[in-house]
Amino acid sequence: MKEETVSDALLRAFLLGKVDDDERQRIERLFLTDSQERERVLSAEQDLIEDYLEDSLTTEDKQRFIALYAQTPEQRRKLGITKSIKDWAIREVTSPEASGAEVSVWARLRAKSWVKPVFVIPIAVAAMIAIVIALVWLNNREQNRRHLAIEQELAQLNTPSSLREIPPQMVSKDLSPAAVRGAEKETEVRKADDVRIFELRLPWVQRDRYSSYQAQIKRLGEDESYTIRSLQGEDDGRYAVRLRIPARLLNRGQYLIRLSGINADGTSGPLEEYLFTVND
Amino acid sequence: MARDSAIQPERFEQILAWLNPDRERAAEVYVQLRNDLTKIFIWRSCSDPEGMTDEVFDRVEKKVDAVRPTYKGDPRHYFHGVANILIKENLKKIKTHVSLDDIDLSNQQITETENEAEAIAREECLQSCLQEIGSDKRELIQAYYAEQKQAKIDHRISLAKKFGITLPALRVRVFRIRESLEECIERCLKRKAQRQ
Repeated sequence: MKEETVSDALLRAFLLGKVDDDERQRIERLFLTDSQERERVLSAEQDLIEDYLEDSLTTEDKQRFIALYAQTPEQRRKLGITKSIKDWAIREVTSPEASGAEVSVWARLRAKSWVKPVFVIPIAVAAMIAIVIALVWLNNREQNRRHLAIEQELAQLNTPSSLREIPPQMVSKDLSPAAVRGAEKETEVRKADDVRIFELRLPWVQRDRYSSYQAQIKRLGEDESYTIRSLQGEDDGRYAVRLRIPARLLNRGQYLIRLSGINADGTSGPLEEYLFTVND
Repeated sequence: MARDSAIQPERFEQILAWLNPDRERAAEVYVQLRNDLTKIFIWRSCSDPEGMTDEVFDRVEKKVDAVRPTYKGDPRHYFHGVANILIKENLKKIKTHVSLDDIDLSNQQITETENEAEAIAREECLQSCLQEIGSDKRELIQAYYAEQKQAKIDHRISLAKKFGITLPALRVRVFRIRESLEECIERCLKRKAQRQ
């Protein structure tokens, strides 16, 4: 029989160690076995952390909070992360407009101009917009062309027929999903002159399997990512998706691959993430 | 601290089979259960939550042959029971709870005392991870945390209305985004630490 849900106030009391043993046992059981209640408990814990960071707790609750959530370096690090996220959000809202310097430049230009002030701004703005649009368009066109060429190359390299072939100068590596914590060390891919293609095996550990998968690969710290569609899963002892990447496209650094199952209606399903490092 | 567990493969398979007949689903339940038990040990102020989680699995492993055939109900409750026994044993042996009298509250917010290098590394990782989560999620997180104290309650209610969901549903939605953001930051900090 499903146990009753728990009120927000009771959850907070539980998180501060203020409930009796029976109640605590009940909430812990729900936490372990009911995914919705689990998320509620963890959300309530985050609200509590927020109140602590805002110094909104009573003295007694603050004492209890510190005893439970701010004792170890790891706990303090987690508090620091939440504080950073909050500080960032507030900073984003309150950051002043950075237009002051630009206004003064325009004012100086206007003062020196022989054209009537009423025309200076529209002409200058129109000229600036035209220049910026032209530059952005040229730059984007070149980037898009390069991006599409790489995605086409990746798509070609990962068609089922290409994957059946074993090209020379190829190295295979098994990656682990990032969600499997503490499993293995991050996989290292070492570039070498005689390696032309890396084949990465991406184990799919989720229960549901899909007729096709989509992978997105990006180097951490960079905005650009490449998408490879219509990948197939294979089961030879361990269900996995193979992804081949030309070695010349990989530079030294950390890479993230996001692999998602594609539903029958074309929408993306669940996601697995894989991290690996490229070294020379 | 987590330790290497000498769990026998066949017994490990038995545990997985007990948690769920589908092996892949069982692996997910197993990982989740480990994390959740660790969380419970943290809530109970245990000094070595990961080590105690290992100990729970070691003990269950030794009894799984005998218990599994006759056990009725969700096996996670059995693990919970073993965790409770462990907590009681531990309390007898050592003082695991931090007495409230021992805490110096003259200090300010604890996070203010960290060093500058840690704060800079965290900020860099935050910025990098905010780029990874995508603009929709980034904007939701930013809107959710934009206000503090009393003002945040009204703000979040209006935010929930804007999305056409309840406030608890909004909290859970933000929790999921923030959880993945925090995991990304943790991974990033770990990588930075390894490089040093």
